[in-house]
Amino acid sequence: MKKLILMALIAMMATYSQAQKVGFKIKGSDTVLPLTQKEAEVYMKKNPNTSIMVTGGGSGVGISALQSGTTDIAQSSRSLKMDEKMKLNDAGKAFKETIIAYDALAIIVNPANKVSKLTREQLEGIFTGKITNWKEVGGDDNKIVVYSRETSSGTYDFVKEHVMNKKNYATSALLMPATGAIVQSVSQTKGAIGYVGLAYIEKTVKAIEVSYDKGKTYVAPSIANAKNKTYPITRPLYYYYLTSTEKTISPYVKFILSAEGQKIVLDEGYVPLN
Amino acid sequence: MTKKRLIQRIAFITFGLISLMVVGILFAILGFIAIRGIHVVNWEFLTAMPEDGMTKGGIFPAIVGTGCLVLGSIIFAFPIGVLSGIYTNEYLKDSWLKRFIRMMTNNLAGIPSIVFGLFGMALFVNYLKFGDSIIAGSLTLGLLTLPVVIRTTEEALKSVDNTLRLGSYALGATKLQTIRRVVLPVAYPNIITGLILSIGRVSGETAPILFTVAAYFLPKLPSSLSDQVMALPYHLYVLATSGTNMEETRPMAYGTAFVLIAIVLIINTAASLLRRYLNKKVKMD
Amino acid sequence: MKKFRKIFEKFIEGVLFSSSTITSLTVILIIVFLFREGIGLFQSSPLEKNFVITVSKQNPVQELDATQVKAIFNQDITNWSKVGGANDSIILFTTSDIATYYTEEEIGANFEFLPKKLNDFIVSHPGAIMYVSGKSLPPGFNGHKIKVKDITVSNFIFGKQWYPTSDPIPSFGIWPMIIGTLMVTLGALLFAIPLGIATAIFMAEVADIRIRNILKPVVELLSGIPSVVFGFFGLIVIVPLIQQMFHLIVGETVLAGSLVLGIMALPTIITITEDSLRTTPQALKEASLALGATRWQTLVRVVIPYAKSGISTAIILGIGRAIGETMAVLMVTGNASNIPHSFLVPTRTIPATIAAELGEAPYGGLHFKALFALGIVLFLFTIIINFTVEFIKNSKQRT
Repeated sequence: MKKLILMALIAMMATYSQAQKVGFKIKGSDTVLPLTQKEAEVYMKKNPNTSIMVTGGGSGVGISALQSGTTDIAQSSRSLKMDEKMKLNDAGKAFKETIIAYDALAIIVNPANKVSKLTREQLEGIFTGKITNWKEVGGDDNKIVVYSRETSSGTYDFVKEHVMNKKNYATSALLMPATGAIVQSVSQTKGAIGYVGLAYIEKTVKAIEVSYDKGKTYVAPSIANAKNKTYPITRPLYYYYLTSTEKTISPYVKFILSAEGQKIVLDEGYVPLN
Repeated sequence: MTKKRLIQRIAFITFGLISLMVVGILFAILGFIAIRGIHVVNWEFLTAMPEDGMTKGGIFPAIVGTGCLVLGSIIFAFPIGVLSGIYTNEYLKDSWLKRFIRMMTNNLAGIPSIVFGLFGMALFVNYLKFGDSIIAGSLTLGLLTLPVVIRTTEEALKSVDNTLRLGSYALGATKLQTIRRVVLPVAYPNIITGLILSIGRVSGETAPILFTVAAYFLPKLPSSLSDQVMALPYHLYVLATSGTNMEETRPMAYGTAFVLIAIVLIINTAASLLRRYLNKKVKMD
Repeated sequence: MKKFRKIFEKFIEGVLFSSSTITSLTVILIIVFLFREGIGLFQSSPLEKNFVITVSKQNPVQELDATQVKAIFNQDITNWSKVGGANDSIILFTTSDIATYYTEEEIGANFEFLPKKLNDFIVSHPGAIMYVSGKSLPPGFNGHKIKVKDITVSNFIFGKQWYPTSDPIPSFGIWPMIIGTLMVTLGALLFAIPLGIATAIFMAEVADIRIRNILKPVVELLSGIPSVVFGFFGLIVIVPLIQQMFHLIVGETVLAGSLVLGIMALPTIITITEDSLRTTPQALKEASLALGATRWQTLVRVVIPYAKSGISTAIILGIGRAIGETMAVLMVTGNASNIPHSFLVPTRTIPATIAAELGEAPYGGLHFKALFALGIVLFLFTIIINFTVEFIKNSKQRT
């Protein structure tokens, strides 16, 4: 029995070591992570000679890894900041940017919550802690519990910039280490509100409609609405890579941009490019 | 019955019930995870790669990764820890040096695992430029287990009857000969079991590997010491908090938790069986 | 031959000695590296390296403290008169805003015209406050830098706000986390001490050998379960349970953390207490029983007082186990960074903060340093605990 297991292990090892002909690393945003993981999975099945390493860490980590040469692709849920561009320029590293998909950020509440639409101003009030009870925005008399991502996440920054008009979060906000945990908590907590990528939405939570024109029109988060740009909280997802390594990775990037790759984008709950 | 006896009876029964509660807590946790996890675990789960955003497939790379880390850390910690234990217990007289070394070992044992993580990241990953790698993770975990190994060795050596040592000296043996031929053969069953138990601890640690080695998703097995790996405890953390589809990820999380607990159970049972077996053997010799 | 033997023995002794120095070396290295990475936080400007806050030359404001800057960029202060300037509304400007004022061609593909445009902006907007890279300002820039007060140890420890990534000025106040960590630990002890000591007494003094042989491995097993499994169990079972039991709006609370940590600290407390109860000399116990005392009286009047220092050691090591625990707490306490005023609200602990944020903090930045500074605080906590244990042990040996 022992020998059998050992042989099985060796056989497995052998198959894996044969396959290492082309290899590269992708690092960065946790928002893009599930998508990249799936794309890489399918791509590797089709091209058994390629091995792709996917790790998270956050957009900022991916970009600084690109600068230090410890990753080949930085996946990011935000575009490069001015100083990051300058750092790459200073180091004489020419880079390319490719938008691989869009992500719509949905505001979610507990399904038991009466409230089904909010304006940006109301969201700002809720996330900054100025509005603390659901009855202030047309719901039941129930305290609001804000769930957010950790401070260093790109999504945290995005919401701060595009929903909260760059104001700071309330100190009472519960900061969850990952998006899945927000879904889990919102589904368990009656007064909860949180934000997650469209891909994370489940039946256990309710996504609400938002208005960015002071309540004239409300738009529900959906792939269709994000595609035709009526849903306001939408952001592009990027791959950044150096032109020096473009040759190695371009087949993979092309695959994502192909019809097949974009179908995976849709299947995973992200917004395809066209 | 006198009042005194009544008090005693009430107190002892309460204590008994509380002990029962502690047992109950353990079985509640084990039972909960086992019931929900056991039907997830099968040959495929143990030997396949994670698939479909970790909702399908298995946890093979995480198992291999944890295996690598355990192996790496014990290769580092066992020899040094055992040698250190022998030195403090057999060579050092009761002096300030012995007290100092003991104190430092205790201090190291009391440092939280997350601080080891910070340290490992600062020293191995950044300063020595190992990067996120098996070597960085193994060394961090090795340092974390070192005090456990030292203590185990010391306890085992302490329990060796001193007359054995004196007898050996009387026959003209040197210190080293005495340790090798007399002390270690008696102490080794306890040392070995202690070492095995520490493997359990290493395989379950998450905080020290977060920033030194653990990867979210790696579809291939490590091929060198400078590769990152997935690891079981971190994988469970990822499954429990991330993932785009919590409902479908959950069974995988239960399965992973079950595997982690099974490892601890197996290691504990193996250690106590081995202790019994070796002790018998030592006595027969 | 004999000489060779002697040299060999010396050599082995040397090897053994050097291995035994490793633990001391590690402790020292830990101190060195924590401080190396963490100490840079203090006495440094809270602004990101190379970044400056500037205003127009005409603006009389010279110095602002961190809270004022934060209030300005948080739009709580919108007029210069509030911070000692003229009655003029404040216009916020950060580098990323450049795109809203100028086109990409105007800035240039490699930002060659950026410095000039920044100057144009400050000339045309005298009420602006700019947060930009100091390198991108042209010589002869029509503005002056605002001095911002440095981060100090006391506003790190006693600061009440933790916004480590806030632009342009992050706040690193860890007071809520210190309180949170201590509250969670306290709760864990309130739960684990009675249970742990009762179980230990039961095992050492009451139960017969067969029951003890069942309890011992149970405790060993409990100590072997990985913390992330406890966290997972806490997340799935304990958090919803607490939410329902107390009709709370959120289940992720101090209490959830305390319960999980309490369970985790149990084995430490039980094992050490039991060991120390067993060290009571049989003669003492027999003397007490011979005088007609019951087993209970003997236990309370003889055994426990004798084992007092061992029990205190157990409790303190239990604290040590609880205070540094990371993964389980991270998963169940909700991580809100406000000061908890009861056991039924969310809180954030020091270890959980490090674990959650270090991965995404850019290497060498202020946030990174702040997390190492948190590591130093945690390390100091545990060192205090360890020395207390040493002290108790030593004072026992003397009496």
